[in-house]
Amino acid sequence: MIFRTTLAGAVMAVGLTGTAVAQDVAVITPYLAQPGTQFYVEGFTAQAEELGWTTNVIDTAGDVAAVISRIEDVVTQGVDAIVINVDPAQVGAGLRTAADAGIPVVGMDAGSDPLVAANITSNGYAMAAETAVYVANRISGEGGVVMFTFDPFPPVQVRGVIADAVFANFPDIEVLDRITPDVSDGGIADSRAQMEALLAANPEPGSIAAVWAAWDQPALGALQAIEAAGRAEEGIVITGIDANPQARDAIAQGGNFEASVAQDFQGIGAATADTVARLIAGEELVQRVIYVPTQLVTSANVGE
Amino acid sequence: MKVLDVQRVSRSFGPVHALRDVSLAFRAGEVHALMGENGAGKSTLIKALAGVDRPDAGSLMLDGAPVPWGSPSAVQAAGLRFIHQELHPVRGLSVAENMYLDHSYPTRLGLVNWRTLNEKARAALVRLNLGHIDPRAPMSDLGAGDQMLVRIAATLIHDAGEEAPWLYVMDEPTAALTGEESEHLFSVVDELVKRGAGVLYVSHRMPEVLRLSARVSVLRDGEHISTRPLAETDQARIIHDMTGRDLGGLFPSREKPLDPKAAPVLSVRALRAGPLREASFDLAPGEVLGIGGLSGSGRGALLRAILGDLTREGGEVQLDRKNLARHPADVWSQGIAYVPRERASEGLMLGRSITENIALPHLSRFARGGYFLDPRRQTGAADEKGQRVRLKRASLHQPCAELSGGNQQKVLFARALAGKPRVLLLDEPTRGVDIGARFDLYRIIRSLSEEGIAVLLASSDLLELIGLSDRIAIMQEGRLTGIIDADGLTEGSLLAQFYETVDEDQAA
Amino acid sequence: MTGMIRRFGGLLGMVAVIAFFAINLPETFLTARNLLNISQQISMLAVVAVTMTVVMVMGDFDLSVGAMASLAGVVAAMLFLQGWSIPAALAVAIGVGLVGGLFNGVMVSLVGILPFVATLATLTVFSGLAFMISDGRTIFGRDIPEAFGEFARGGPVIGSIDERVLVLPNLTLVAIVVAFLVWVVLEQTSYGRRLYAIGGNREAARLAGLPVVWLRLSAFAFTGIGAAMAGLMYASRVASANPTQGDGLMLTAIAAVFLGMTITRDGQPRVLATLAGVVILGVLDNGLTQMRVDSYVREVLVGAIILLAVGLSALSRHGFSLRRR
Repeated sequence: MIFRTTLAGAVMAVGLTGTAVAQDVAVITPYLAQPGTQFYVEGFTAQAEELGWTTNVIDTAGDVAAVISRIEDVVTQGVDAIVINVDPAQVGAGLRTAADAGIPVVGMDAGSDPLVAANITSNGYAMAAETAVYVANRISGEGGVVMFTFDPFPPVQVRGVIADAVFANFPDIEVLDRITPDVSDGGIADSRAQMEALLAANPEPGSIAAVWAAWDQPALGALQAIEAAGRAEEGIVITGIDANPQARDAIAQGGNFEASVAQDFQGIGAATADTVARLIAGEELVQRVIYVPTQLVTSANVGE
Repeated sequence: MKVLDVQRVSRSFGPVHALRDVSLAFRAGEVHALMGENGAGKSTLIKALAGVDRPDAGSLMLDGAPVPWGSPSAVQAAGLRFIHQELHPVRGLSVAENMYLDHSYPTRLGLVNWRTLNEKARAALVRLNLGHIDPRAPMSDLGAGDQMLVRIAATLIHDAGEEAPWLYVMDEPTAALTGEESEHLFSVVDELVKRGAGVLYVSHRMPEVLRLSARVSVLRDGEHISTRPLAETDQARIIHDMTGRDLGGLFPSREKPLDPKAAPVLSVRALRAGPLREASFDLAPGEVLGIGGLSGSGRGALLRAILGDLTREGGEVQLDRKNLARHPADVWSQGIAYVPRERASEGLMLGRSITENIALPHLSRFARGGYFLDPRRQTGAADEKGQRVRLKRASLHQPCAELSGGNQQKVLFARALAGKPRVLLLDEPTRGVDIGARFDLYRIIRSLSEEGIAVLLASSDLLELIGLSDRIAIMQEGRLTGIIDADGLTEGSLLAQFYETVDEDQAA
Repeated sequence: MTGMIRRFGGLLGMVAVIAFFAINLPETFLTARNLLNISQQISMLAVVAVTMTVVMVMGDFDLSVGAMASLAGVVAAMLFLQGWSIPAALAVAIGVGLVGGLFNGVMVSLVGILPFVATLATLTVFSGLAFMISDGRTIFGRDIPEAFGEFARGGPVIGSIDERVLVLPNLTLVAIVVAFLVWVVLEQTSYGRRLYAIGGNREAARLAGLPVVWLRLSAFAFTGIGAAMAGLMYASRVASANPTQGDGLMLTAIAAVFLGMTITRDGQPRVLATLAGVVILGVLDNGLTQMRVDSYVREVLVGAIILLAVGLSALSRHGFSLRRR
C-alpha cells in the first residue's frame, strides 16, 4: 500500500524546519480513487516520509459527511495536522472541531476557507491565460474562436473569465460561441454534438480558426467532431487544460489538438507537506493560497 | 417373505422414556398400522428406523441379519423407503426430474436423454395406476396429493444393482391431502401391497386405518400396548388401547335443544364468489351446520366467501339482518371468526408467541386508546382463552412452533374466541390433530354451540360431520345443492349424498 | 447452552469490540467527547436504519432509501436557491420522502411487485430525479442558508472539558427522537405489532382480518420519511447537496438491521437492536480510524465482522434445530 507509510520517527529527517520531531499527519479525502488525487497523495507521502512523519491516508469513498466524521476521529486521536482534499465549505463542521482543538488543517487543492490555514493548488487564472494566449498567438490574433466553459463549477469558471479577457483584447478575434456542455457523461459526447452543430453552421473553411476549452474533455469532443466532419486539414487550433492522458495522446499525434496545461499534482502534494511542516514549526502563514507552477504541454514536450 | 424385526428398542431423552422395550415385526405384503397419541413414541420409532436417531438399546433385524442403527444408507439398502407428510418437491422441475432427484439421469453421449427419462418415469407411474400424471408436467402444477404419489412412484425407479424397496413407511401421509387425493393414495397402497410390498402406516385417522390395515399396533407413553389383526379389533378397542380409558362415544351430544323459533343469525342468499357458484342457507344461533362434499366441491370457498377473503360477486350475506361487510378486517370486527384450513401457512405465525398469535386480530381492542399496546390485557385474554380451549403449554410466550398440531389448532380456536364471535367459521378444524386433542376440540365446538354461537363446519371427515352437525349442507361443484338432517346418517349414506346427481339442472 | 450463545453471543461480541477499542485507545476512545462525536457521526445512519426496520419486520426492505436521501437534500437545496424559507423547504423535502415512500408501498403492496425489484426501480427513479433537478451539480456555499448548515454544527451545551465546551449535537437529538418514535410505533402500538404479524405469516395475518395491503403500503412511508430526514441531516452536516451524497446509506442501513437481528432473541428486526448495530458500525469506523487502520482494510474488516456476526447467529440457530430434530 503505497499511500500509507508508517515510519515512526526513527529517521533523523532534514526537513524545512530542521527539527527531527516525529509528526502524526492525517490526509483525508473522499476522492482517492481519482487519478489526480492519487498523485497528490503520492507526492505528499513521499515528502512526509523524508521528513520522518507518520502519515495516515483516509479515503471515505465519495462520502463527504464521512470526511467530517474522520476529521473528528483524528482530532480525538490527537494528530499534529490534518490535510484535506475536499471543498472546505462542505466539511465546515469538521474544520471547526479541528480549530477548537488547535489542530491546523491544510488544503491540498481544496479551496479557501478561513478555517483552512493554507490551500496549495495550481493557479487556474494562469493556466487559462497560457492556453488562451497560445490560441491567440497561433491564429495571429484574428479569426473565429469557439469557447467551451463551465461556469457552475467555480474552479473552471475562473478559467473562462481569463480567456474572455484575453480574446477581448484582440480586436480581430471573434468569439463565435461560448458553449456550456452537458457534463453528466464526462463532457466529451455533448461537446462533440455541439461542435458538430457549429461546424454545420459555419461550413466555410477557415471560418472557425480555433477551439479553446476550459478543460480537456470538450477539447477532445471538438477534435472528434472536426475529424468526423473531414475538416481536420483546415488547421483549426484546439487547446485544453489539465493535460489528461487522452489529451496528451491527442497532442502527441500532432493533429488539431495542440496544447494543454499540466498541473504538477505531485508537486502540490510535496508543497502541501512543506506547508504542514512550516505550520508545525510555528510559522504564521501570510500567503494562504500557495500556487505550484504548471506547465504548457505541446507536441514539443508531450513525451516527457 | 421378508420380515423386519424391531427388538426391545428403548430410547430416552433425559428423564422422558420415549420408547420402552418395544418389539414389533413388519412383514412384506401387508399394511401394518401404527397408532398412538402424540408423544406415544411413534415419531421416535420412525426416526430410529430411518437412521436419523439412534436408540439407547435394542436391535433391528432384516430376515435375521442385523441392520445397524443410525445409518440412513443402511436402511435404504435394506429396502425401506420413507414417505413423509412434509414433501419437499423441487417445484420448478418436471415430475420426471423430481422422480430422478436421487438417481443419475439417463444420458446419451453425455447429455440428458429426456425421452428415456420421461418414459421410465411414466412407466413407474403407470405401474401404480397413476397414468393421469404427466411426467413432463412441472411439479408445481400438481396438488399435494399427486406430489406425494409421485414421490411413492419414484421409489419404483432404481439404479442397476440396487435392490427394489419392499417396506414403505408412511408417516401421516394424508395430513395435507384432500379426500379425493387420499383415495388415490389408498389405491396406490393397495397396489403396492398387491405387488408384495409391506407398508408401515402411521396415522391419526381412524377410518383410513380401518380401511387399509391388515394389522394394527398401538403405542402409548413409549410402550407397546397391542398388536392385533384387524379382524380382531375395532375402533373402540383401538381408542381404548391408545388412551387407556373407555370413551363414551367420540362426539359429545347436544344437551340443550336448539330453539326452533329463533331468528337466523346468519342468512346467505344466492352467494357467488370465485369457485363458489351458488349458496343459500340460514344459520340459527347455536346451530352447527356441517358443510360436506367431495374435494373441490367448494366447502372452503363458501367459508372464504363469507369471510370476504374471496370477493363476493353476487348474492347477499346478512348477519343479524344487517348486510355483512365485504373485507375480512370488517367481517372479523362484526363478530365472525375464522379458523383456516392450513394451520401453518394460513393460520399461525409459527415463530411468534402464543399470546401474539391469539391477540393478532384483536390488537386494537386490547390497546389503550385503540393504539397503545397493553401487554397485560393481551396475556390476560390469551391465558383465559387458552384455558377455555384446554391449551397445553409451557408458557404463553412460547413460540407456536413448539406446540403439537392439536395445540396449535387450539391456539387458532382461542384466537377465534377472543373476539366474542357470533358465528364461527371452521375449515377442517381437526385435520392432522391427534385423538386426544380432537376430543378436546369436539367438546369445545359443542359447548360453544350451546352458548349460542353458530358454527359453520367444513370438513372432509364424514364421522365428524355426522357427529357434530345439526344439519349438513351438501356442496357439489361449487353449488350448495341441499341441506339434510344429520340425525341417523351413516358415513355411507352421507357419501352417497355427495355423489348423487342433482336434478336441479334438468328441472330448471 | 446454544440458546445462551444465540441470545447473548451477538451482544458479547459487541461488548468485546468496544472493550477492544477502550484498551487500545485508552486516552481517547471512552471519552465523553469521542462518544458524542460517534453519536453524531451515526445519527443519519441511525435514522435510515431505524425506519428501515419498520419494513424489515414485515420481511420487506427498501433499496431506495439512499437515493431518496440524496433527492431530499437536493430538493431542499434547490428550494433554498429559489429563496424559500428553511422550514418550508424542509417540509417539502420531507413531503417528497413521504410521497416516494408511499409510491414504493403502492408498488409493493397494491401492484404486488417484489420489494427488491420495486425499490431497485424507484432507487433509479429517485436518483435520476435528483440529477434532473440539480443538473448534476453540487449545491453549496452561499446557496445554502447559513442557519441550515449551522444546525448540524450546533446543539445544547452540556458541559465543558479541557476548557472546550461539550455539545450534545442537534443531529444526535434528532436521531434519538426518531428512534424513540419508531420504537413506540413498532413495540407499543397495535399498528406495529400488526407489521410484525405480517412478517410472521402474511397469509395468516390476512385471514385473521388484518388490512395487510394497507399496512404494508403505509409502512413504506416510514422509510421514505426517514430517508428524506437523513438526507436533510446529511445536507446540513456538509452544508451542501449533491445528487449522490446519500447513496451509501442504503447498504449500511441494511447491514445495521441485519447486525441487530443477530442479537434479538427470535432473530427478528427490532429498533433497539438496529440501534446497537448502527452503534457497532459507527464504533468500528471511529476506532479503526483512530488506530490508523487503512481505509480499505477498514472496509474489509467491517464486512468481515458483519459476515462473522450473521454467520455465527445462523450457525447457532442451525445447531439448535439439529438438536431438536
